[in-house]
Amino acid sequence: MTLSLDELAASVATATGGVVTMTFGTAKVKVSPESWVAALTAARDDFGLVFFSWLSAVDWTNEVQVGDPLVEPVEERYELIAAVSDISAGNIVLFTTDLPKASPRIASLVGVYAGANWHERETHEMFGIDFSGHPNLIKLYLPDGFEGYPLQKSYPLLTREVKPWPGTVDVEGMPGQAESSDEPSEENPEA
Amino acid sequence: MADFFSSFWVQLVLKLVVAATIIPVVGMVIGFAEMKLSAKMQSRVGPYFAGGRWGWAQLIADGVKFFQKEDLIPAEADRPVYKWAPALVLVSAVAILVPIPLGPSVVARNLDLGVFYVLAVSSLSTIGVLMAGWSSANKYSLMGGLRAAGQLIAYELPLILAVVGVVIMAGTMSLTGIVEAQAGWFSERGWSLGMPFILVQFVGFGVFIIASLAELSRIPFDMPIAESELVMGYVTEYSGFRFLFFFLAEFANMFSLSAIAATLFLGGYWVPGLSESQLNIFGPAILFAKVGVLVFTMIWFRWTFPRFREDQLQSIAWKWLVPISLVNIMVTAVLKVAAA
Amino acid sequence: MVLEKDLVRHLVEASVSVELATPDMTLNIGPQHPSTHGVLRLVAKVDGERTTDVQPVIGYMHRGYEKISEVRTYPQITALINRIDWVSGYANEIPFIVAAERLMELEVPERAQYIRLILTEMARISSHLVFMASYPLELGAATPLFFALRDRERVLDLLESVTGGRFHPNFNRIGGVKPALGSGSATRKMIQDLPKTFLPETRDAMDRVLATCDEIEDLVAGNEIILARTRGIGVIPADVAAAYGLSGPNLRASGVQFDLRKVSDYLPYDKFSFDIPIGTAGDCWDRWYVRLAEIRQSARIIQQAVDGIPAGPLQAKVPKVIKVPKGETYVRAENPKGEMGYYLVSDGGQGPYRLKIRSASFSNISILPWILEGTLIPDIIAIMGSLDFVLGDVDR
Repeated sequence: MTLSLDELAASVATATGGVVTMTFGTAKVKVSPESWVAALTAARDDFGLVFFSWLSAVDWTNEVQVGDPLVEPVEERYELIAAVSDISAGNIVLFTTDLPKASPRIASLVGVYAGANWHERETHEMFGIDFSGHPNLIKLYLPDGFEGYPLQKSYPLLTREVKPWPGTVDVEGMPGQAESSDEPSEENPEA
Repeated sequence: MADFFSSFWVQLVLKLVVAATIIPVVGMVIGFAEMKLSAKMQSRVGPYFAGGRWGWAQLIADGVKFFQKEDLIPAEADRPVYKWAPALVLVSAVAILVPIPLGPSVVARNLDLGVFYVLAVSSLSTIGVLMAGWSSANKYSLMGGLRAAGQLIAYELPLILAVVGVVIMAGTMSLTGIVEAQAGWFSERGWSLGMPFILVQFVGFGVFIIASLAELSRIPFDMPIAESELVMGYVTEYSGFRFLFFFLAEFANMFSLSAIAATLFLGGYWVPGLSESQLNIFGPAILFAKVGVLVFTMIWFRWTFPRFREDQLQSIAWKWLVPISLVNIMVTAVLKVAAA
Repeated sequence: MVLEKDLVRHLVEASVSVELATPDMTLNIGPQHPSTHGVLRLVAKVDGERTTDVQPVIGYMHRGYEKISEVRTYPQITALINRIDWVSGYANEIPFIVAAERLMELEVPERAQYIRLILTEMARISSHLVFMASYPLELGAATPLFFALRDRERVLDLLESVTGGRFHPNFNRIGGVKPALGSGSATRKMIQDLPKTFLPETRDAMDRVLATCDEIEDLVAGNEIILARTRGIGVIPADVAAAYGLSGPNLRASGVQFDLRKVSDYLPYDKFSFDIPIGTAGDCWDRWYVRLAEIRQSARIIQQAVDGIPAGPLQAKVPKVIKVPKGETYVRAENPKGEMGYYLVSDGGQGPYRLKIRSASFSNISILPWILEGTLIPDIIAIMGSLDFVLGDVDR
């Protein structure tokens, strides 16, 4: 019986004790960090979500070094997201959990989905989240002596420190034409 | 004048000159043929600029380029072994040419044990390959050298066994004698047609060609130089004129083994209808034409097939080629005795 | 008595010398290597010809896309992300644009969707033809390379005539596609549609692509040596493939009937009829054959789309300065290499707050340690080639 995404998400949420949010066609189920592994095990075994798509995190911070700050202040946390899907109807469910910024740690999913291995390594080196029980939590992309966790919002972009960002500039006119006085267009500006 | 040419020392000098020049010339011609033929098969043009639009000077340019390169020897390499390896491979290619008859009396030396000598000398190159792989102080080279050693040793046996059938039919191991046996096969019935041994020894011919492709380390048997895996196998650390030796040796060996195959199976310098003095003049051209057909086939195989894995290669040699050629020998021997 | 003792001692010594284990050799395959599809490094412990442990080392091409996306606007990101999987350039832009359009709740005009679909399928053909070219080359056959690339040139020429770029088209705009043949600020009023000769040339090119598929199948599929090198090598069972996140032709070769084009609605695939080729054994041969069959299906889709393309505008009405409203969504698409997805977290600004890029090749090669254990070295090359990954896609 193929469930629609709404039905599947709702039943997954009730089974795992999570809170379901449907956002623009995407189903998110929020669980607590303690029930992280149990929820994903239930997703794999009981709901047929056997395909491990990806795992990553979002750094919700109010003071950012890079990019624009948030319009409304949020509670500061890491939102860890694991996306799992089935391989028949194409329903994908994003399991999320909130981790504190201070020393984020959570159990590893390597025992549930083998593919979580590399995704957790990447999340660890980018955000500093510790996955307990991971067999090989060493750097994946970054060179060996790299310090810091790049994808945290508090990690600056070096070139921005050196030279301020010029922002989106106007497109210069062709030689012989007047400068364009339009606002930045939706085409690709020569930034 | 004839006395001058029949003097032993003059003939010796002539033979040495021919042997020294034939290898580079043949190497270049076959190399150029490979470039152009492979280009045609792949809808490309091939060499285009060197020497006008035909690109015939490409190999000469390549030869000069190799010669003027710096002589690099890896620091950890075993120097004397490293230097002598390419020489050994090239020398074995040249030495095979000694008993090959280009005409009834145009031959460097008509050895009675021609076939035996040829097969023995051709296996010298195995030592050269091992020397190259070992002395390069490089893991890839070592692996290539070991693969090559295993492959070359495995395929020596089918090479030899394939030839035994021909020897049984001809009754002699001398290469000139084998060509004459083909020429005069039906002479007791008065026909001057003769019979190239490929017509009855097709199994032997097939085994010989496959085994010689393996001896040359050409695709489909080029695991030792598997370009996409081991960079260049045992030749990785060679550059400049040492690499040129290996390069030339491959084409020279192609020529030598094809010449052997043409002599043993296709009739060598002989075609029906020519007298002996005419064969002395046209013999080389006839032999080269037959060699050309075989070389073309080898080039064709190279650009069509992928390569075998090492264990598949070995199992082909031991499980298929050796039993088939043994059966061929038995059948040939039985039929020869029964027909006599 | 003395003789027996000598014999025993001799036997003991002989057995000791037989058991002398040679240490494993650590072989570094890459990062510079003729056949690792880019800068991938495999640290392989080998025992003779057999590997005992293989660890891939990636990150030589890490360009920090996710961090950069936090400081770029949406049109700027469109220009960047088609460099992720550079072999199938156009297909990388689609899920991102669709995610932004979902958050803006935009309705993309039908003609634009058809054009997107045609160009995506051309990107798929281009990517699979590169695979057809390079995989036999890794096994040693040099000739299919030229046949496949020769016909890929036709497809790339078509892509260039429409988008202006062979590999990095940068053709999508939020709300549709870019009006063809350029529209800088001075020519913005002049909306140009597809080039006049595009549709008939596409039909010819697709006929030619189908003929090339037959040619390649003749040359490669019946060849005993290729079968011996790929059948039964690198078998990945379906459940292992799903657990590791293997997607695209790799997953379908293991027998899983799953294609995002049939179950997702990011592009109007439901208007066309096409099959999903499936393998049975999950070995290298099946992965090769599934990709060849997919080229044929893509040509079929393009022929149907070209015949049925509707007229209409090329882009929905969007404001000059694009600000995507607050929201989060994950959109995934069936890229040539597998499932590519973008998780877009927007805070209402001109650029995203967070963009997570789920790339197909990253998950595809995370299976390498599992599958390469205990294989022969030539098989490493065969298996890696059959997974068809690109390092830009792995490292982002």
